[in-house]
Amino acid sequence: MASEIETGSKYIPEMAQKEIEELGSSIKAASIKVIEDNIERMKKTWKNRAKSMEYFDEISNLFGQREKEIREQKEVGKKVIGYSCIFAPIELILAADAIPVRIGSGWYDTAKLGDRIMPVEICPVIRSTVGAKMVRLSPYLELSDAIIMPLTCDGRTKLSEILSDYKPIWYMNPPRVKDDPHTLTMWKEEIQVIKEKIEKLTGNKITRQKLRESIETMQKATKAFRRLQDLRKGSPVINGRDAMLVNQTSLWDDIERWTQKVNELCDELEKRVEQKEYSSHPDTPRVMLTGTPMLWPDSWKVPNLIEESNPQGVVVVDEQCSGDRVLYDPVGVDEWIMSDMLAAVGERYLMACTCPCFTSEHGNEDRINWIIDRIKEYKVDGVIYYVVRGCILYAMEYARIKRVLDKMNIPVYYLDTEYTREDVGQMKTRVEAFLEMLEARIDI
Amino acid sequence: MLEIIAETLRATIAVGLILAGILAILIWVRNLTRKLSALRLFIQIVSVAVIFLGLIIGPFGLDQWAYLGSAPKDVVIGTNILGRPYPDGLAVPTFACYYASGRTTTCVVWQLQSYIFPDYETSSVYLTTGLERLAIAFGLLVVMSLIFGRFLCGWICPFGLYMDLLTRLRKALKIRHWTLSERVNEGLRQARYLIIAAFLILSVILGMRAIAGIELISETELGRYLEIPFCQICPAKPLFVLAESGLGYMNLDYALSRTMGDFALTGWYLTSINIIILGVVTGGSFMVRRLWCRICPLGGLIALFSRVGPFKRLSLIKLTKVEEKCTKCGICKRVCPPQVTKVYEEKGGDVTASDCILCFRCVEMCPYEGCLKVEVAGKPIYKSKNWLKEEE
Repeated sequence: MASEIETGSKYIPEMAQKEIEELGSSIKAASIKVIEDNIERMKKTWKNRAKSMEYFDEISNLFGQREKEIREQKEVGKKVIGYSCIFAPIELILAADAIPVRIGSGWYDTAKLGDRIMPVEICPVIRSTVGAKMVRLSPYLELSDAIIMPLTCDGRTKLSEILSDYKPIWYMNPPRVKDDPHTLTMWKEEIQVIKEKIEKLTGNKITRQKLRESIETMQKATKAFRRLQDLRKGSPVINGRDAMLVNQTSLWDDIERWTQKVNELCDELEKRVEQKEYSSHPDTPRVMLTGTPMLWPDSWKVPNLIEESNPQGVVVVDEQCSGDRVLYDPVGVDEWIMSDMLAAVGERYLMACTCPCFTSEHGNEDRINWIIDRIKEYKVDGVIYYVVRGCILYAMEYARIKRVLDKMNIPVYYLDTEYTREDVGQMKTRVEAFLEMLEARIDI
Repeated sequence: MLEIIAETLRATIAVGLILAGILAILIWVRNLTRKLSALRLFIQIVSVAVIFLGLIIGPFGLDQWAYLGSAPKDVVIGTNILGRPYPDGLAVPTFACYYASGRTTTCVVWQLQSYIFPDYETSSVYLTTGLERLAIAFGLLVVMSLIFGRFLCGWICPFGLYMDLLTRLRKALKIRHWTLSERVNEGLRQARYLIIAAFLILSVILGMRAIAGIELISETELGRYLEIPFCQICPAKPLFVLAESGLGYMNLDYALSRTMGDFALTGWYLTSINIIILGVVTGGSFMVRRLWCRICPLGGLIALFSRVGPFKRLSLIKLTKVEEKCTKCGICKRVCPPQVTKVYEEKGGDVTASDCILCFRCVEMCPYEGCLKVEVAGKPIYKSKNWLKEEE
């Protein structure tokens, strides 16, 4: 009897090739339009936009230059390793001469496709990624030879199952409690296992020298990233959306070239600081974003709203695993010995992370501290707590963080939304009211 | 009297010149030692040179023990206080071993144990009575603990340098260190105080004649039984004696002559227990960073007078942490030579632990600007910074 029931059936129903192509190309065209539109809007708000931003505009086109490059490199024999979230050890991928790309999806249209097989209560980031897979939209997801899937939130855990129909999935099991000594031991073993898998796939052994080089490459990227962040601490010389875009391109760009380009951008911006050439008026309310990752291109709707509304706000910092948290922490190596480097890489991805998937009896205090520090460092006037429907972890932490922010006398606004463009008008009114309140507070 | 003044002047000039030279070298190497660990290694080497200055500048016209070869015994700094010999030098809470030649100061542990002996009480050569000197040694221990705390362990102690060199050797051989479990570390931490208690009680029993005029064990005098009990198990003594013998400053035959034999007659220069413990500690600290520091009773004494109760507030050097700047990345915990976890675990404020040797490796490696700070009398002198910037 049991054999008649197909236990290993796939999640995603077979779709006709024609439907895939038609849907895919129409969504792709819409997406390219959204990308162009976003860049256009950024240019409009930031009148004398820095020249170095052009590079990032180009690389932000998900179906453009970078896709071509990866394809070319794949033909030469390089492997592409996708990852779904920031727990994946990039240094190890780089050390094996593979290309790391992030596969999370920010397309609204594909979220609707995902609705076909998943209830709408599910986090739209997951639904969107599934939808993108259905029509083979995401070039990075399609090009990856294997996908590293850290099982952080419930959505990603089950997403890994769905994607395993198509690609080899390497699970990583991050412990939910950071501080117990045995959890770190377990995580180090996970890192070791991933290292072996990467070595097996690429055929390149991760040597001491290679790993050291890749750690230093990432440290240089962190350095460039922090340089840009330091520029955002003063009066705005770069708008939040632009800086967010720069940070987000690091998820799929060639990291060495990205570092170089960010440094060029910083050179240009540092000159502007001297000349007091600001991107927005220095008195613009300074906003911090926190919560669910905002993925390029469609999720730009919220920062677009903030920076285009009247009164205008400027996003000076965010606390998102798609933005400022990606490159902030360096790998600190004590002894340049293989096992110590691996331990350092492992600890950097587990311990320094402020993902709400962690818990402890004191709450996720690392995240709270992160937010408090950012508010002080970047002189934040107000916090926008962005949560998409179905993002349970971020939504549940809101209450605790609101209490902390109330004590600091920092207004916080809980912005819940969906992967849809329909609520923009209504959201605009809410964001404008919040920014007006911030402006009034500054005037006082 | 004139002679003594001349001697003192000469000594002062020599020490002044040496200090000036060190200062000049320090300024010169400053560019090379922008990294704190390099600076620390340099200061450690300099302080070993200062502690064993007698080996470099010679006996300086003072008496020496003929049977120890040509090396000067004791005497450079603190010799002529008020015109009378004070041959052991001032007490410094580091392993500036008494048994080695040419040192300028003396380990406070030796002084605490030996000055209760009757020989010091009755001697006419010395400036003060044994108990007075005991008070001086103890006072210096408390004062220096409050001023420097375990900074002395991390930056001055010659035995610490020995362990650090072993660590550097291990790193060069590309072997990773072993970490001890928190339970073992806690055990070692507690054991320090047991050792302190044991050697102080033993010393008091052995020195009863001087203290109260009663002889608890007959014929308690120097050279018999477990006199100076701690030094007979200390790993630093054989290290310095063997090193100086090897360099020709000491006579190994003499040093070894009383090593074997009657167990109760534990010997003067080297004992079997000494050498065994040095072997164990050497092997252990090759694999475990700063192994001895975790059990060192001298470190325990310094910690007692700089990290416990009212002393904690008075101590000068402190390590502080700003809670919200910390992302708990765990780097401070991993890079710490004696595996202190308090810097990582404490939320913020004063995070100086009794195990911490104030080497500031955590401050050097912390990647968050201003998260960890070294404060001297409440004023920050060294802050963690974005160390990525330095590479330029």
